[in-house]
Amino acid sequence: MDNIASLFYGFGVALSAYHIGLMIVGVLLGILVGVLPGLGAPNGVSLLLPLTFAMDPVAAIILLTSIYWGALFGGSTTSILFNIPGEPSSVATTFDGYPLAHKGEPTRALSFAFLSAGFGALVGVIVITLLSSAVARFALKFSSPEFFAVYLLAFCSFVGLGGASPFKSIVAIGFGFAFGAVGMDSVSGSLRLTYGFDELLAGISFLVAVIGLFGIGELILTVEQGLELAGIRARISPRDVLSAALAMPRYWVALLRSAAVGCWMGITPGGPTAASFMSYGLAKRFSRNRDKFGTGEPEGIISPETADHAAGTSAMLPMIALGVPGSATAAVMMGGLMIWGLNPGPMLFVERPDFVWGLIASMYLGNVVAVILVLATVPLFASILRVPFALIGPVIVVICFVGAYTVGNHTFDLWLALAFGLVGYVFKKLDYPIAPLVLAMVIGDKAEDAFRQSMIMSGGSLSIFWSNGLVATLTCAALVLLFWPLIAAGLRRLPGLLSTGRRTPAA
Amino acid sequence: MRKCLLITAALLASLPAGGAAAAWQPNRPIEFVVTSAPGGGTDNFARVVQAIITKYKMVEQPIVVVNKGGGSGAEGFVYTKTQAKDPYKLTFGTNNAYLLPYVAKLGYKPAELTPVATLAVDEFLVWVNGASPYKDVKSYIEAVKAKPGVFKASGSQSKDTDHILTSMIEDATGTKFIYVPFQGGNATAVQLAGGHVDSNVNNPNENVGHWKAGTVRPLCVFSPTRLPGTAKVADDKAWSDIPTCREAGIPIDQFQMPRTVWLPPGVPADAVTFYADILEKVTKTPEWKEWTERNLQTPRFLAGKAFTDFIAEDDAKNRKVLEAQGWMVK
Amino acid sequence: MASRFQAELATALGTAAFGAVVVAGAIEYGIGWDSAGPEPGAFPFYVGILIIVASLANGVQALAQHRALAAAGFLDGPHARRVLIFMALSVAFVILASLLGLYVAAVLYVAAAAWWQGGYRPWVGAACGIATALFFYVVLEKAFQVPLLKGPLEAALGIH
Repeated sequence: MDNIASLFYGFGVALSAYHIGLMIVGVLLGILVGVLPGLGAPNGVSLLLPLTFAMDPVAAIILLTSIYWGALFGGSTTSILFNIPGEPSSVATTFDGYPLAHKGEPTRALSFAFLSAGFGALVGVIVITLLSSAVARFALKFSSPEFFAVYLLAFCSFVGLGGASPFKSIVAIGFGFAFGAVGMDSVSGSLRLTYGFDELLAGISFLVAVIGLFGIGELILTVEQGLELAGIRARISPRDVLSAALAMPRYWVALLRSAAVGCWMGITPGGPTAASFMSYGLAKRFSRNRDKFGTGEPEGIISPETADHAAGTSAMLPMIALGVPGSATAAVMMGGLMIWGLNPGPMLFVERPDFVWGLIASMYLGNVVAVILVLATVPLFASILRVPFALIGPVIVVICFVGAYTVGNHTFDLWLALAFGLVGYVFKKLDYPIAPLVLAMVIGDKAEDAFRQSMIMSGGSLSIFWSNGLVATLTCAALVLLFWPLIAAGLRRLPGLLSTGRRTPAA
Repeated sequence: MRKCLLITAALLASLPAGGAAAAWQPNRPIEFVVTSAPGGGTDNFARVVQAIITKYKMVEQPIVVVNKGGGSGAEGFVYTKTQAKDPYKLTFGTNNAYLLPYVAKLGYKPAELTPVATLAVDEFLVWVNGASPYKDVKSYIEAVKAKPGVFKASGSQSKDTDHILTSMIEDATGTKFIYVPFQGGNATAVQLAGGHVDSNVNNPNENVGHWKAGTVRPLCVFSPTRLPGTAKVADDKAWSDIPTCREAGIPIDQFQMPRTVWLPPGVPADAVTFYADILEKVTKTPEWKEWTERNLQTPRFLAGKAFTDFIAEDDAKNRKVLEAQGWMVK
Repeated sequence: MASRFQAELATALGTAAFGAVVVAGAIEYGIGWDSAGPEPGAFPFYVGILIIVASLANGVQALAQHRALAAAGFLDGPHARRVLIFMALSVAFVILASLLGLYVAAVLYVAAAAWWQGGYRPWVGAACGIATALFFYVVLEKAFQVPLLKGPLEAALGIH
C-alpha cells in the first residue's frame, strides 16, 4: 500500500537524534503545562511558536505536536490526583480517576489513564496513516446540519444517565447552556447576556468554570469532611504500573469503542473534550459494570482517556488536509504552518510529503516517548497525595486561582472561580449532576451556532436535519441514544408483551 | 571657554530635535495585546512582529504576548482602554478596532485608542466552488441576479469585514445572497470546498490550499491593481492572472483590511513615535517581506497623519454600509 | 444548623432566580423565529424558562418530601464552621490578590491557612507559601512568559 510506503519514508524523515531530542523536550514541557490548570497546551505551543520560525518545518511541527501530546497526558494527572482538570479534555477523567486515586490507588489510576491514552493515540495515528485521503474527503461532507447532529449525538449519549432527579439534571444542563451563551454571538454578531459588564464580553471561560466546579468545589467538600490532617496512604509501587498494564486487555471492548468514538469526534470535528464525555457516557450506558461508575471503576478512566487521545491525534488530519483545526491547540499549530509557509490543504500531501509523513511518523514516536516519560512521572505525582492535606490543600487552592487567572488574565475570573466553587459544592451536596452542566457548556454554544447556521441555509426549515443520508443517520442515532432507556425497557418487555398479547387478544 | 560654551549650547539646541526618537525608551517588559485567540490572523501578525523585533534586538526589553480575543477582539480593546497612560501595552488588531463599537455596545470608543501604525493590508477575493460552472465573476453575478435570495455567500462572523463586503457586492450589483456566518476564515473555506455554500470572499491564504486542490476557484480581487505573484498556483493560473473585480465587472474599486497597532489613551507622544519607528524597521526586514509574500498580504506601512487619514477614510466607507444595513447598535 | 430541606428549597429558589436573570437578559435580543431561524435571544430565553420550570419542580419536590428532608442534615456546627472559614479565607485571598497581586496573596494565604486551619507552626506555612509563589514566578513568569497579577510590592521591587 502507498500509505505504508509513505509512512516508512516518514520514519526516515522523523527518526533522527535531533528530532527525538525535540520530542523529549516537547513532551516534558507539555506535561508541565498540562499539569498546571489554566495553563494549557495552547500556551506552551504559542510560546514556542516564535522560536520555530528559524527551524525546519518538520522539526518545528515535531516540537509543537510533542508539547500537545505531553499536555494531553499531563492534563489527566491533576484530574486524577486533585479533581482539577488540567486540560478541558480531561474533565471526564475526574469522574472515576479521582475516586480511584482516593481509594489509595493513585498509581493504578494514573497508569490506566496513561496506558489507555497511549492506546487511543495509537489508534488515532493508524487511522490517519491508512485512511488519510478517504477521511479528508469524508470530512468535506460536513456542514452545519451535520455538525449540529454530531453535537446532538455527543450530548444524547451522555445525558439521561445516573440516578439524579431529572429536574435537577435539567437545571444543571440549563446552567451549562446559559453560561455557554454569554458573550459574542457569532451568528448575529451581537453580545448576549453580558448585562453591560465588560468582564463578561469575552464569555465565561469553560476552564474557569471547571476549575471552580470541580477543583474548588471538591476542596470545600474535603474541608467540610474534616480531612485536614490526613494525607492519603497512597500505595506507590512500580509493580502497580505493571499490574495495570496487564489488566488493560480485559477492557478491550471499552478500548476499541472509545478509540472509535475518539477518532470519529476528532475527524468530524467535535473535539477531544466532547469525545471524552461521549465515550464516558457510552461506557456507562453499555458497560456490565455500569453501577460502579463514579466510584473508581477502571473502565470509567479508560473510556474518556482513550477517546480524548484518539480525538486529539486524529484531529491533526483535518488540520493538515483541510485547514480545520479540531482543537484550540491545533489552531495555534495551524498558525505555525502559515508562518512556515505551508498552506494546509489536500495538496500538502503532494507538495510536502516530507512534512506530512514526517509529522505522521513523529506522532507514533512522540506518543511512545510521551507514554514512557509520563509513566516515569507516576510515582512522583502519586507521592504528592501523601503530603498532609493541611499543607497541600492551601497550595491547591492557590493553584486553582492562579490557574483561573492565567486562562484569560482577568481578575474577575478569580471571583468567578470562587462562585463556581460554591455552586459545585452545593450541587454536589444536593445531588445536582455537574457533568451535564460542563458538557452543555462545552457544546451548547457550538451546537446553537450550527443549528442557526443550518436554519439560515434552509430558510428556517427543520427538514434540513433529514436532508441527506449522513445527517439523517446522525440525527436518528442521536434520538435513539436519547431515548435509549425507554427503548431498552421496551425491548426487554417486548417478548413479554407479545406473549401476553397472545394470551389475551381481547384486551 | 567660549568654545566650550558654544559646544554646550549647540548640544543643548540639538537635544530636543536629535533626541526626539530616543526621548522615550522602554525600561520594563512590553506586553503585546492580541485581539484574537491563539492561532488567529491577528495572533500570527503579532507573533511575527515579536519574532522579528527579538531577532534583530530592536528593543532591549523582553516582549510578552497576551491573547485577549473575546467578543471578536473587543476584550483586547476594552483592556487597552483601561490601561490608560501605560505605554507598555501595544495592541494588535485590524479595522475591528474602530468598527466593533458600531455594531455592539462596548466599553470603549475608537477615539480612546491611540493609533500607532498599520503594517499591511489583507486582500479579499471572490471565490466559488471548483466544480461550479462559473469561470468569471460576471457569469456568477448574473446567475445570482437571476435567482435572488438563493445563492449562499459565506464568511467569517457576522457584521464583520466579510459580511460588510458581501453587502457591498449586493448593493453594487443589485443581487441578493443568503449570508451564512461561520467561525473563522478556515471554516468558511472548507464549507465552500465541500460545496455547502456557493461563494465566499476569503483572504488569499485562507483559500489557497483548496485552490491548489481544485475545490475552489478565485474569480476576482477587490484591489485597485492585480496581485503580485506570477508563479503558477493552480489551474495553470498565477495570482497575477486573477482580474481585479473592477475590471471583471463588480464596481467596487478597493476593499482591504488593515493590520493595525494601537496604544492605550494618554500615552506620551514620544512613545508612539518610538513604536512607530520600531514597527517601520520591522517592515523593512527580509523576514517581514517573506511573511507578507507567503501570506499574500500587501505590505503597506502607515503611521502618524497618514495612518489617521487612512482610518478616517476606511471608517467612513465601512460605516456607510453598517448604517445602510441597519447594523448600528443604538 | 441547616437542614437538607432548607438547602433544597433555597437552591431551588436560587436556580429559579438565575433562570429569571437569563430570561431577562435574553428578551433584549429578540426571542422570535424569523426566516433566518431563531433570533439571538431565543435559545437563552427557552433555556432560562426551562431552568425556572425545573427549579419550581425541584421546589415542589422538596415540599412534598418535607418531612424526610427536614430530618436529614445538610450542614451542622463543626462542618459549617470549617466551610465558612474556608470560604472566608478564599474571599480574603481573592480580595488580597486584587489589591496586592497574586504572589503576595498566595504567600499570605498559604501561610495563614496552614497555620490556622492546619495547625502548623507559622514558619512552616510561610515557607510553604513562599515556595509556592517562587514556583509560579519561575514557571509562569519566566519559563512560559505568562504574567500574573502583580501589586505594589512587585512594583517597589522593580519586578514587572
